[in-house]
Amino acid sequence: MPSVHSWSESNGSGEVVTDGIANINFGSNDSYNLAPASYLITAGANSFKKYIRCKFTSTYTEISNMKFWKSAGALGTGEVITAAANATFATPSAGASGDSAIPTTEGTALALNSAEGAATIVYGGSGVSGYTGYLRLQLQTTESTPAGAVAQKTLTFQFDEV
Amino acid sequence: MVNTMDINVREADKTSSLQFYWLAELKNGSIVMQFENGIENLFQEVKDRFDELKYFVLYNKNYIYNRFTVDLEKGKIYFQDGYLLSSKDSSTQEKKNIRLIYFRRHKIDFGNNLEEQNHSIVYFLGLQYNDLRGNNYKLILQIDSQGNWSSGE
Repeated sequence: MPSVHSWSESNGSGEVVTDGIANINFGSNDSYNLAPASYLITAGANSFKKYIRCKFTSTYTEISNMKFWKSAGALGTGEVITAAANATFATPSAGASGDSAIPTTEGTALALNSAEGAATIVYGGSGVSGYTGYLRLQLQTTESTPAGAVAQKTLTFQFDEV
Repeated sequence: MVNTMDINVREADKTSSLQFYWLAELKNGSIVMQFENGIENLFQEVKDRFDELKYFVLYNKNYIYNRFTVDLEKGKIYFQDGYLLSSKDSSTQEKKNIRLIYFRRHKIDFGNNLEEQNHSIVYFLGLQYNDLRGNNYKLILQIDSQGNWSSGE
């Protein structure tokens, strides 16, 4: 088997890690596998920040050149998704992240390191967890953002493997 | 060069999501295969023996004649029975310090539910070398899972 990847989210003040999450929905709560209908975001407010990581398992020698961007999906009026790579975990809140808007092209994609800060994830390396660094994501709105669900977005994760 | 019968006999795992597997032939004639008797060998085994490499082959797991061979002694890349020649390449140009280039590039599109909408794998295969003046050249093929390829430097 070559590498297998899954997504992980960390929550709470204790940085509780949950591997194998099923979605990265934004909402007005700090929780994984969040149901948006249960945690609506008021127009003009922000979602809670999400701290997600990719985790590599199975068999590989090295993972490198990890990139992340939004490749499709229109943003509605006043809707912004912010993103930062290799972020330091902090208790997720709805305060504005201050991060830039998520890149929308491969050329401007966020470059991810390993969780340990290296440019590569080496299989079986000493102290290597298999996680990427944190991606910090947040949905921000304005009072002019229309009510209802926002349009679906397509995200792209790219990496090189040997 | 590597015998296709040898690939047939020794390769055992066709369940992998990969369409192309690698094998390496060392200067002493021994062969290291990515999948051997159902067990995957790490590419690390090749990395650790770069100086001993003679050929590095990337072959289609369902059609072994669809294969690309990097000759690390001559600095050539062969496709099936012919060989590829880049525009900057010259059969008379002396090549030194020939090094293998190989990796797979995964590109995964997904939505908020994390389900993959698309997962492409492109195989980057090639070599780089120095000429007598020390200039560095690269020749890289990009091969998709259908075996379509393009070359670049």
